[in-house]
Amino acid sequence: MMAILKRELKSYFLTPIGYIYMGFFLLVAGVFFTFGNLITRSSQYTGFLGGILFIYLFAVPLLTMRLFSEEKRQRTDQLLLTSPISIPEIVLGKFLAAFIVYLITLAITVMYALVVGFFGDLSFWETLGAYIGFIFLGASYISVGVFVSAGTENQLTSALVSFFSLLLIWLIDPISNSLPVELVAGVIFAGLLVLSLCGYIYLNTKNLYITVAVLLIGAIIIAAAYFIEKGVFIGFMRKFFSWFSLNKRYENFSMGLLKVDSLVYYLSFTGLFLFLTVRLIEKQRWV
Amino acid sequence: MIEAKDLVKRYGPHTAVDHATFKIERGEIVGFLGPNGAGKTTTMNMLTGYLSSTEGTVTVDGMNILEHPLEVKKRIGYLPENPPLYPEMTVREYLQFAGEIKKVPKQELGKRIDEVMHTVGITDVAGRLVKNLSKGYKQRVGLAQAMIGKPDILILDEPTAGLDPKQILEIRSLIKDLGKTHTVILSSHILPEVSAVCRRVLIINQGKIVADDTPENLAKRLLGGSQLQLRVDGSVQQVEEVLRKIPTVKNLSFKESQEPGTVELIVESDKDKDIRRDISKALGSAGLPILMMRSLDMTLEEIFLHLTTKEEEVAKV
Repeated sequence: MMAILKRELKSYFLTPIGYIYMGFFLLVAGVFFTFGNLITRSSQYTGFLGGILFIYLFAVPLLTMRLFSEEKRQRTDQLLLTSPISIPEIVLGKFLAAFIVYLITLAITVMYALVVGFFGDLSFWETLGAYIGFIFLGASYISVGVFVSAGTENQLTSALVSFFSLLLIWLIDPISNSLPVELVAGVIFAGLLVLSLCGYIYLNTKNLYITVAVLLIGAIIIAAAYFIEKGVFIGFMRKFFSWFSLNKRYENFSMGLLKVDSLVYYLSFTGLFLFLTVRLIEKQRWV
Repeated sequence: MIEAKDLVKRYGPHTAVDHATFKIERGEIVGFLGPNGAGKTTTMNMLTGYLSSTEGTVTVDGMNILEHPLEVKKRIGYLPENPPLYPEMTVREYLQFAGEIKKVPKQELGKRIDEVMHTVGITDVAGRLVKNLSKGYKQRVGLAQAMIGKPDILILDEPTAGLDPKQILEIRSLIKDLGKTHTVILSSHILPEVSAVCRRVLIINQGKIVADDTPENLAKRLLGGSQLQLRVDGSVQQVEEVLRKIPTVKNLSFKESQEPGTVELIVESDKDKDIRRDISKALGSAGLPILMMRSLDMTLEEIFLHLTTKEEEVAKV
């Protein structure tokens, strides 16, 4: 894993991409800081950090786009996959390399906080919370980018798909707020979830018995939940989608609240996407 | 050492490799021969664990590649058709990385890099960026990568493709040397290359292994008779008259000669019969000097023609 990590880190700075990422991020962050804090003489630092969140929507795809797609294009994945190194090691090495570049760039913005702290009132705990939030949020964003990169052979496609995926995650909050919350809607949505799970299982295993079994179990669970506690289904759709909302949980951090459930959430989100990446790469060998 | 059993690879409805079964022993140099798209690369990708087979198993030293992937991969060095190089690294950096992921112990790695660079002759480009190297050097760097983990088995996919004639000869003699210490499997669509390097040839056509033998036996078996190309000082009638009298001569076909006053022709004879002496004596005593005589090698196209027509004949019977 260390070998992969070292090579990826080096290659960020041997190719233009590391500089493009850092340059782009720092330029936009600098513009935000100049106009949001310096010229307006505001010490509202958390406002600036909220703006950074927006930059990552564009910047993280730049950071992750070449991780796997470039290996496939250059056929160097043949070297990696025929060497005595496991796929989780490869995925983790690449993820950590991107994460380290992300952290270095983020660390540079601490300078702005110092400027605010020196010349004005910096709300220390909120700023600290926001930075901790960024560390975990960034890991989640990067894991999405890593996953997309493993599914594409072209850097541009990879960057665009990552961008739209992150945009979708961004839009989940406004979308889920307008979703129906009624009991019936919740039950129907739960039914659809079970059906799509069955469809997925059938397409992958072609085994009718397992599919029917899953369908029955799903139906029993829904029925049981309906009779025991109807309240579960009220706003179920909204709850389900907001699970994918990364940004909502960030708000706690920027208020200076360090919540364990949010940290666990970000870590499991990252872990899930890295796991899916490993599965995706393994699956590509069977096609 | 390495054994493939009923190996099948399907891409949707297309079957790229169709029940390939073979066993390769320690120390052999084996050539996969076949036209483009025959399934050579797919077979190699399955042997190295890059692709998974749809059906069938690959075992190396008795270990299944799906059950013990890391152990098997340690024993195999693979040079794909396009060497898997990172253009932005220098040759030494690249080999350092390759050595690390192939689990070469840290304290040995520096020495090992020098060794393989010396073996494949790239010591003088060690500090250069991979992207600035010529095709021949890139191929060697790829070969160095395959060797760096001290694998028992080297799998080389078209190792001489795209090289100039001098480089081809160099790579071939390098592979021959490697064959003394490694089991080597290489693929090629050029027959002379395989017969120059390998002691055993597997011919693959449309995903199936259609022949498995030494190059000499294969040539003998496939060549219905031997062919000689001649250039004789004389006229067509004179030469034909003399040669028709030799009983072992089966067929004569005349070609236009570049030299005025001479005849050029191809003589076909029965298999296993050397008719060079008879022809020489007959033409000599008839006062027709031989200016050139050489046996014709069979080209891959002809071998394939033979193999496919033979198969069809078998099918008809």
